Amino acid sequence: MSGTISVTREESETVINIKGRFNFEMHSQFRAAYQEDTCEGKKGRRFVINLSGTEYIDSSALGMLLLLREEAGTNESDIEITNARPEIQKILETANFQRLFKIT
Amino acid sequence: MKILIVDDDRINSAILTRLLGREGHPVVIAHNGEDGVEKFMQEQPDLVLMDIRMPRMDGYDAARKIKESASDRFVPIIFLTAVTDEEGLAQCIDAGGDDFLTKPFNRTILQAKIEAMERIRKLHTELHLKKDQLEQHQDQLQQELEVGKHLFSNIVRAGNLLDAPCLKQWTSPLAQFNGDLLMACYNPAGGLHIMLGDFTGHGLSAAVGALPISEIFYDLTAQGFSIGDLVEKMNAKLLTVMPTRMFCAACLIEVDFRQKSMIIWNGGLPDLCLIDNRGKLAQTIPSDHLPLGITPMTRDDRKVRIFEIQTDHRLFLHSDGLTEAINPADEMFGMARLENFFDGSTPPDQLFDTIMMGLKDFRGVADQTDDISILEIDFSRPNKTWEEDSPQKSTKTIPPAVWDISFLFSAETLKHVDPLPTIINSLMSLQAPLGHREKVYTILAELFSNALDHGLLNLDTKTKKSPEGFILYYAQREERLAALQDGNISLKLSHVPLISEDDNKFGGDILICIEDSGPGFDHANVRSILEGNMAHGGRGIALVRSMCKSLTYNEAGNTATAIYSWTYN
Repeated sequence: MSGTISVTREESETVINIKGRFNFEMHSQFRAAYQEDTCEGKKGRRFVINLSGTEYIDSSALGMLLLLREEAGTNESDIEITNARPEIQKILETANFQRLFKIT
Repeated sequence: MKILIVDDDRINSAILTRLLGREGHPVVIAHNGEDGVEKFMQEQPDLVLMDIRMPRMDGYDAARKIKESASDRFVPIIFLTAVTDEEGLAQCIDAGGDDFLTKPFNRTILQAKIEAMERIRKLHTELHLKKDQLEQHQDQLQQELEVGKHLFSNIVRAGNLLDAPCLKQWTSPLAQFNGDLLMACYNPAGGLHIMLGDFTGHGLSAAVGALPISEIFYDLTAQGFSIGDLVEKMNAKLLTVMPTRMFCAACLIEVDFRQKSMIIWNGGLPDLCLIDNRGKLAQTIPSDHLPLGITPMTRDDRKVRIFEIQTDHRLFLHSDGLTEAINPADEMFGMARLENFFDGSTPPDQLFDTIMMGLKDFRGVADQTDDISILEIDFSRPNKTWEEDSPQKSTKTIPPAVWDISFLFSAETLKHVDPLPTIINSLMSLQAPLGHREKVYTILAELFSNALDHGLLNLDTKTKKSPEGFILYYAQREERLAALQDGNISLKLSHVPLISEDDNKFGGDILICIEDSGPGFDHANVRSILEGNMAHGGRGIALVRSMCKSLTYNEAGNTATAIYSWTYN
C-alpha cells in the first residue's frame, strides 16, 4: 500500500502533493512528477513538496528528495518541504534535512 | 506428428489410419488398453486417440497409465466415443483425457482437433523449457547469493567484537542481506569503537555499501584514528560509490573505560537513550549531523560530542526499524513506546530483554517492514584488562635494529591534525613489536596529550573533577586549540636492540622523548598533579609509569623521557 501524488504547476513553481505513504514504491511516480521540470535548461525552478496528506515517510523517500535536489541543481535548487506532521518533521530533523531543504 | 490409435474395432482403426495418413501423420495401432500402454512406451507418440470400451483394459485405465508414464511431457489424449451423456464425458476428463471425438468420425473435426492439440502441445513444450531455464537461473542466483553472503559476513564481521562484555545486541534483517550494520572494534589505546549504520532500503543493494564502510571502520580504528577521521573517510567513500538516493544514517561511538569518557557522532540515527542506575531516561542524544554519503564534509560535520560516563549507566541505540515497526492495526511502535520502558519500573539490567519482548508482543503477526537493530552499552562492564594484551594482527616480525625518528609539530599542524596515528604507524612499520602496540600507543597518547593539554594549552586537570567540569575541560580545550598561535611539540623516538645469547629472544628499548615549548610544570608538583589524574579513574602519568622501564622529567618540566622495554620469544 503506497500513496498518491498530484502536481500543480505555476509559472515558476511546481507543487508536489503527496498523500498516504511516501515510500520506495513511490519512486517512479515521484520522479515522473518533477522530471519535466528538471530536464536540460530548466534549472532554477522552485519546488514545493507538500506533505500535508503524508502519513508516513521512509528512508527511500528521503533518498528521492535527495535525487530531486540533485536533478534540480543541488546548491542552486530551491526546494521547500512543507506541512509535515510532527512524526515526519522529527524524521526530517533526525536526518538534518533542514540543512539541505527549506522546511516549513 | 506421431499418433497412437487404441481401438479394438478394426474398422474404426482402419478409417482413422486412412484419414490421418492422408494428412501425413505416421500412425501406430493398438487393439486394447493394455496393448495401448505398451505401444505408448515403445513408440513415444505425440498424441493418442483412445476408444473407451475395450477388452483387457478399458480406455479410462489406459489413459490414466499413459498420463502417469508421460509425467512432465504433455501427450494429449482424445477419447473416441459414441456416448455424449455428461457423466460419460466427465469420466473421460477425469481419467486425464483432453478432448473427445464422437463417432461417426468427421474428417474436418478430427483435423481441427489434432491441430488444436498440436498448438497446446507446442505451448506446453515451450513453457516447460522456460520453467527449466527459470529454475536454472534461480539456482544460479541462489548460489551467487550464498557466495555473496559468505563474503559479506566475513568482511563485515572480521574482527568484530560484538561479543565484548559491555555490549548486548540484536539485529533482525528483513531480507537475506542486512542493511543495518553493527560493528565494534578496539583501538590501539584499548578504547572501544562501536558503529551502528542504517543504509537506505534493505536487502542486497543496502548491504553492498556496508563493505567499504566496514573496511574503513576496522582499518582506521586499528591504526588509531579518531571517530572524526573515520566519519570523514566513510563519508568521502560513500559519496564516490553510492548513487544519490542512497545514504547511510550512522552513529559512531568511542568508549574509553579508563578515562570514563565517551565520544559520539550521530548522523541521522534516532535519539540515543542514556539510562541511569534506576532504569530511568537520563538524557537523549539526538542526531546533529546529516547521514553519511550525502554532501562533502566540512570541519563542523566531523564534530563529535564528548560525555563523561557513569559506570552504573547504560546507553541504548537503535535503527529506525524499531520505532517504525508496525502492529497488526498498522500503528507504529514509536519513540514514546520505547521511552515508556525507561520509566524506572524495569531494573536496568533487564531493560534490553524487556524491550525485545515488548517489541515481539507489539508486532504480533504483523510483517516486518525494515531491518531492525538494537544495541546496549553497559558501562559497568569494561572490556578488558591490560594483562590480556591482544597480539598484533600483523604476523610480520622485524628483527630489532637501531633506529631514530623525530617529529616536530607546529601549532598550525596541531590545530588541524591528530598526529598520533601517523607516529604510531611509522613506528610500527619500522619495528612492529608483537603484542606491544597498544601499550606503546597508550604511552605516546598520554605523553602527547599532556604536552598539548598542559604544556601548550595550559589546561588544568583539576577542572575535570566534577561532571560539569569534565564538559568544561573539553570545551576549553577545543576553544584554546582553535586559538593556538605559537608553540610546538617535538618528539624523538629511538630504539636500542636487546643483546641476548638466545637467538629466539627478540627485544629492545624504545626511548620516547617529548618536549613542548610551553613554560613547563612546577617540577615539584608534577607527580602529584599528573598522577592525581588517576584519581579520576582516568588515564594518567601513573599508568605510563607502570608500563615503562623509566619515566623522567627535566628540571623545567616541559620534557618527558620514557623508556619502554619489549621482548618477544
